[in-house]
Amino acid sequence: MRGATHAKWAACAVAVTLAATACGGGSDSGGDGGAGIVSSSWGDPQNPLEPANTNEVQGGKVLDMLFRGLKRYDPKTGEAKDMVAEKIETTDSQNFTITLKDGWKFSNDEPVTAQSFVDAWNYGADVRNKQNNAPFFSDIVGYDDLHPKSGDPKTKTMSGLVVKDPKTFTVALKEKFSTWPETLGYQAFSPLPKSFFTDHAGWLNKPVGNGPYTVDSYTKGTGMKLRAWDAYPGTDKAQNGGVDLKVYTDNNTAYTDLISGNLDLVDDVPAQQLKSVQNDLGDRYINQPALIIQTLTFPLYDPQWGKEGMEKVRRGISRAINRDEITKQIFRDTRTPAKDWTSPALGEQGGFSATACGDACVYDPAEAKKLIQEGGGLPGGKVTLTSNVDTGSHREWMDAVCNSINNALGEGPVCTVNPIGTFADFRNQQSGFKLTGPFRSGWQADYPLIQNFLEPLYYTGASSNYGKFSNPEFDKLVDQANQESDAAKATATFQDAEKILAEQMPSIPLWYQNGSAGYSERISDVTLNQFSVPVYDQIKVS
Amino acid sequence: MRDTTTVGDELTTDTQTAGAPSASKHAKPAKKEREASLWSDAMGDLRRNPVFIIGAVLVLFLLVLAAVPGLFTSGSPFDATACKLQDSLKTPSSSHWFGYDIQGCDVYTRTVWAARNSVIVGITTTTLVLLVGSGLGLIAGWVGGFVDSVLSRFTEIFFAIPVLLGGMLIMSGLQGNAWTVSVVLATLGWPQIFRIMRSSVLQNKNNDYVMAARALGAGTWRITVRHILPNAVAPVIVVGAISLGVYISAEAALSYLGIGVQPPGISWGLMVSDASVRWLQAPHVLLFPAAALSVTVLAFIMVGDAVRDALDPKLR
Repeated sequence: MRGATHAKWAACAVAVTLAATACGGGSDSGGDGGAGIVSSSWGDPQNPLEPANTNEVQGGKVLDMLFRGLKRYDPKTGEAKDMVAEKIETTDSQNFTITLKDGWKFSNDEPVTAQSFVDAWNYGADVRNKQNNAPFFSDIVGYDDLHPKSGDPKTKTMSGLVVKDPKTFTVALKEKFSTWPETLGYQAFSPLPKSFFTDHAGWLNKPVGNGPYTVDSYTKGTGMKLRAWDAYPGTDKAQNGGVDLKVYTDNNTAYTDLISGNLDLVDDVPAQQLKSVQNDLGDRYINQPALIIQTLTFPLYDPQWGKEGMEKVRRGISRAINRDEITKQIFRDTRTPAKDWTSPALGEQGGFSATACGDACVYDPAEAKKLIQEGGGLPGGKVTLTSNVDTGSHREWMDAVCNSINNALGEGPVCTVNPIGTFADFRNQQSGFKLTGPFRSGWQADYPLIQNFLEPLYYTGASSNYGKFSNPEFDKLVDQANQESDAAKATATFQDAEKILAEQMPSIPLWYQNGSAGYSERISDVTLNQFSVPVYDQIKVS
Repeated sequence: MRDTTTVGDELTTDTQTAGAPSASKHAKPAKKEREASLWSDAMGDLRRNPVFIIGAVLVLFLLVLAAVPGLFTSGSPFDATACKLQDSLKTPSSSHWFGYDIQGCDVYTRTVWAARNSVIVGITTTTLVLLVGSGLGLIAGWVGGFVDSVLSRFTEIFFAIPVLLGGMLIMSGLQGNAWTVSVVLATLGWPQIFRIMRSSVLQNKNNDYVMAARALGAGTWRITVRHILPNAVAPVIVVGAISLGVYISAEAALSYLGIGVQPPGISWGLMVSDASVRWLQAPHVLLFPAAALSVTVLAFIMVGDAVRDALDPKLR
């Protein structure tokens, strides 16, 4: 399959852990780090700040300020726009010729060349460097030689990457993948300066990139000071003098600092503060869907759920879930009721559709009852929801979903919850196809592409297709979309494939997880991008 | 508190008196000139003890609550359509005295129904502990020798395991409900009773009246029932009564940790655990079951304490 195949589940769990424990007791100085400086809450990055090794939000924040790749996702629309790339051409959706713009350089004055990209990608893919994001390069020819499943690679480069001249290089993919250029906005594809390879330790202490900011100082456990780079050649110059990232171990402390004026920006407002956040911040509180969707996946490998006709029952269950009430009461509006199988963070242009699920995602007890009856009733007259219950509020929302189903059907306690103590145990049962009832699935997309929401989860035999959904029509449309050279047409074809999900309901879309942020009166123009990371370069300080 | 001028005061302190257990028979008809016995004296004592009266009333109330919760609430926590999410976390009102929990379930109904599991655990565990502990204690004391050594060492193994810690260990591998919790707690709780019973038997079996009974041809069974048990039963009952409250709180602790009673079963410990996440936001969801638990444990301990005072004046 295409796209990222690494364990996004684990990344998601890590993200949750980070959110819960994020950030450390920085209480020095105060919000006014100087004229035009934004102070913002931060947590120590999990991994060294290598672009191909960073797959969590805290490190991602810094990389977004330090690097500009071939493409960059427009923070507003989610569209992948050319950044360092002048043009990316292909005739067959498999072999790409990438031409760079003139004038790009790293903050140490080294020019950004084709070699900067090829070296960085080879480094990221090399199994010896143990980079978390290595699977992002797995579509490129030669990846398997550089990243064998076992043993040491015999080569140092991927044969699919060829430098033609300082401004041009070609990429050969293993298969047709028309929207591959759109994935290049991900930070793993950032270029790297020579000093990264020659003085690696020094680079990690003070990373050098080609983005609108430079690192002024970095102390692990305390924070990082970034300053606007005056000679930045790009069009998206920093609108402020710099950003001071302060480490907090408790987001509540960060929030308190924000309220008392010692901090300008807190992303990920802690759950305990949600009740008073409207009072405290008013419209200086951002709460918007992220690239994360929660679904209930059906074990279609189990004939009692997968057999012909059960799609009505599956749709019926979906209609018995009162998403509006659950997101409001259990999640205090930090989730948004789902209307499709992607995320609103994609934007309409990127493939999000508020009508893809249609009626099937709208709560209607009478219709739910009717559908389940028409489909032959629940298997064995009952349904059991399974999830790990050690993190999140999984137990609570599952109880709420069951209550909603039981209330809607009015046939007694037909819906029950099967709580599993640990995430690892749940994952084992899920990836071993041992579950016999609908189970929780969380999906965080790596890049704002509809492909990333559909193919890894529902394509026959795909890496994260834990319900073993298989539909020839769906597969055909996905293949077709991947060969489509026109991005808009590809997206439309993916949406056609999504319509099959609405009919077959292999998983019930529940809700999108939201990203949140609160900011002080000192700053304005604060937005979150698709990855729920603040767009620092656009922030203005008054 | 206690009328120290009671006639039998001196007698009661001597629990080894041969005639003491049978004295109660004579005590009944002679009301005015009551001949004191351990039991009649204790009863008289308890009747005048306000601690016991308050405790007993509460315990009685709890027993009724546990037996017929339907008397006190029209709802049932096992009604699948009882909880409406739109009521989530609503505060107490005149129609719903304890408010609603996060799922929109009536806290009052759940608190009332949860009494049953606590009472089941308290009584079952205590009964099992008494049966196993005194049974083995009797055998160890009577038979002595090798059997006693083996049993005593065996007991010490169990005695060394802290009840709550051992309970966590065993429960984590079991399907939690009131009955399994009771059995697990009893498995870890009996050594105390064993020791009391064994020492009581050892103390008494060489007494003159036991010898006399044996000389007169009384069998082991008769001696046990007539002479040994009555002398041992007082301290056993005292320990049993007090530990009843302790077992109830142990169940709540296990349930709070998520390894005691499991949903859809209900327990105060479980309710407290669920509510603790957002107790600043909705304190009522936590406070009512917590209060119910505290009052229950207090009631049983009050009764146990009063019984101890009455049966074992030496301790005062």
